[in-house]
Amino acid sequence: MNETLMRATMRQRVTSPVRVTLLASVFLFPLLVIGASPATGFTMLGSGYALTLVIAAGVIGQDVSSGVLQLLFARPVKRSEYVISRWLAVSLMSAMLATLQLAIAVLLMWSRHAPPQTREVFEQLGNSICVAFGAGAVLTFFSSLLPGFGDLAILLVMAFTGSGLDGIGQGFHLPVLSRIGDEVGHFVFPSLPLSSLLRGGGTPWYEIVAYFSTVTLCLAAAILIVNRKELSYASSS
Amino acid sequence: MPRAPESPTGTRNTPRTLLWIAGVLLLIRIGVGIFEAYHPPEPADRVNWRPIASAEGLAAATSKPILYDFTADWCPPCRLMKGEVFGDPDQAERINHLYVPVRVLDRSREEGHNAPEVAQLQSRHDIQAFPTLVVVRAGSEPQVLTGYPGKDMTAQWLMEAASGIHRRRSLRDSIAFAPRDSVLAPRDSILH
Repeated sequence: MNETLMRATMRQRVTSPVRVTLLASVFLFPLLVIGASPATGFTMLGSGYALTLVIAAGVIGQDVSSGVLQLLFARPVKRSEYVISRWLAVSLMSAMLATLQLAIAVLLMWSRHAPPQTREVFEQLGNSICVAFGAGAVLTFFSSLLPGFGDLAILLVMAFTGSGLDGIGQGFHLPVLSRIGDEVGHFVFPSLPLSSLLRGGGTPWYEIVAYFSTVTLCLAAAILIVNRKELSYASSS
Repeated sequence: MPRAPESPTGTRNTPRTLLWIAGVLLLIRIGVGIFEAYHPPEPADRVNWRPIASAEGLAAATSKPILYDFTADWCPPCRLMKGEVFGDPDQAERINHLYVPVRVLDRSREEGHNAPEVAQLQSRHDIQAFPTLVVVRAGSEPQVLTGYPGKDMTAQWLMEAASGIHRRRSLRDSIAFAPRDSVLAPRDSILH
């Protein structure tokens, strides 16, 4: 972990006007809906995936396509440290924004006499933080594969493939296909089953292991891919 | 050509520890996935049940109907409904969105009596068997579903009740309405 790299990543994320505009929309829109209709509860906030998506898109690919990576790796910076720092920076930013958004949502609901339950708030908070770190890792991996915002293209293709396979599997009663679709979904949208853990059901060990497995696999793969990148001032990627 | 050994001061060190952890977790993931395919964990109840005391105030503030779930710990169909309907993420989200959900747990078999607010609600809605779902909307007659007619029919009833389509069903009507495999557990009072 390199604090300078983390700070630089966070600064980079808030200097793009397009990203800031998108972030403001994703941050404010659910709050406006909750303010107007507190009965919607936390449904509008979702899992915070949208926030992570906007913050983490192009987390490595953007550096590759803009030529920053060539300059950066001319210095004695460990590539693994670079990947981990970028992941931590975007994940922490997403988690902090999701927490702030939740705090404002709770205040709005309180002010409109529809207070959420404490357990609901903690569950939402935990989910948002887990999604921030999980989705951050997935996008870091995808971003190491393609320059620019190619990670979003991979994400879209995988998300559609997952839901398509799941739908076909259920429609044609092919459990194997459905399971593969489910697995792709677990990989693209990693989250911890906090509801089950906090509400007294059986411990869903598979979902817990799948989350940590996805995060570690994505980070390890991203480091290996960045390690293998041959960058020069003459290269286009 | 053999690769040169990694320098400890190099910038491209392989993350061996991370790779080991990722590999081990992947193996555990496959193992647990196979195990849980045959032994799925019991689903948790994902509905945000509200306390009886605050339900009416919350319903007024949010303009939502109240969904009372009259249930008991000893009742097998209630456990079935809890797992299949209230444990289903989509159904639970729908219930949380459409209703102010309130669980009214009968403890008369375990403790010999119920809390006054539970007894009052059971008496007000004439509860004769578990599970019974009652949807109460200000200014209209309560809508009642007695017994557990299965996940799909319960989900359909919940959707229709939220829009106010159903009217009260008697216990006999509910049994007739429910499919053949519908299950319900009569309260002690109608057994004796």
